[in-house]
Amino acid sequence: MNIKIRNTLTEIISVAIAITWIYSKLNAAANMSIASIAQVLVQGIGISILAAIFSAIAIHIVSAIITKSKEKNVVDERDNIIEFYALRLSNVIFGISLLIILALLGWFNLPINFGIIAITLSVFLASICSTFLKIYLYK
Amino acid sequence: MAKKKIHIENTVRRLRFNNNEMTQLELADLVGISRQTVVAIEKYKYTPSLELAFKIALAFNKEIQEVFFIN
Repeated sequence: MNIKIRNTLTEIISVAIAITWIYSKLNAAANMSIASIAQVLVQGIGISILAAIFSAIAIHIVSAIITKSKEKNVVDERDNIIEFYALRLSNVIFGISLLIILALLGWFNLPINFGIIAITLSVFLASICSTFLKIYLYK
Repeated sequence: MAKKKIHIENTVRRLRFNNNEMTQLELADLVGISRQTVVAIEKYKYTPSLELAFKIALAFNKEIQEVFFIN
């Protein structure tokens, strides 16, 4: 497993941890105030950043122990192109998700709580899809 | 001009072996790219930019058309 795929895996792990944490805290979202939902979402984003840092350190240490070598993380033109494709995909997914969420909110007259949660989760979904695209292109 | 996609091939792999069996990592370090990019170029999965193509050609002391060509 090369360093690019390892870095991408850490992104997926951090997003998965954040989603799990947010999901566990938002069981009673319908009865929660917007302020408390926003608090949970901000905490979730913070957790995803911390999880990304710690999982990156852990994966790099484990990989260095197994392979007994340290691979340099060189960013070149191909990486920039792959990043660009991933960014485009995540933009498209987030845009489509936003439209669907707004349409659902309007049609089914759902509370704004669900809208806020759905928009945050669509950010995570876009992030996961773009990281999977990166893994596919790096292989 | 027709919109037909051109398929660019290269002799990077052969040139590496002709240069004292240079490793992919050595070539990558020489031109400032990652080893994965060298792998992708050798498998024709990635066509480098003109600048990178020149750098690779210079690394082997060859003309660019000797390294990259249309088949």
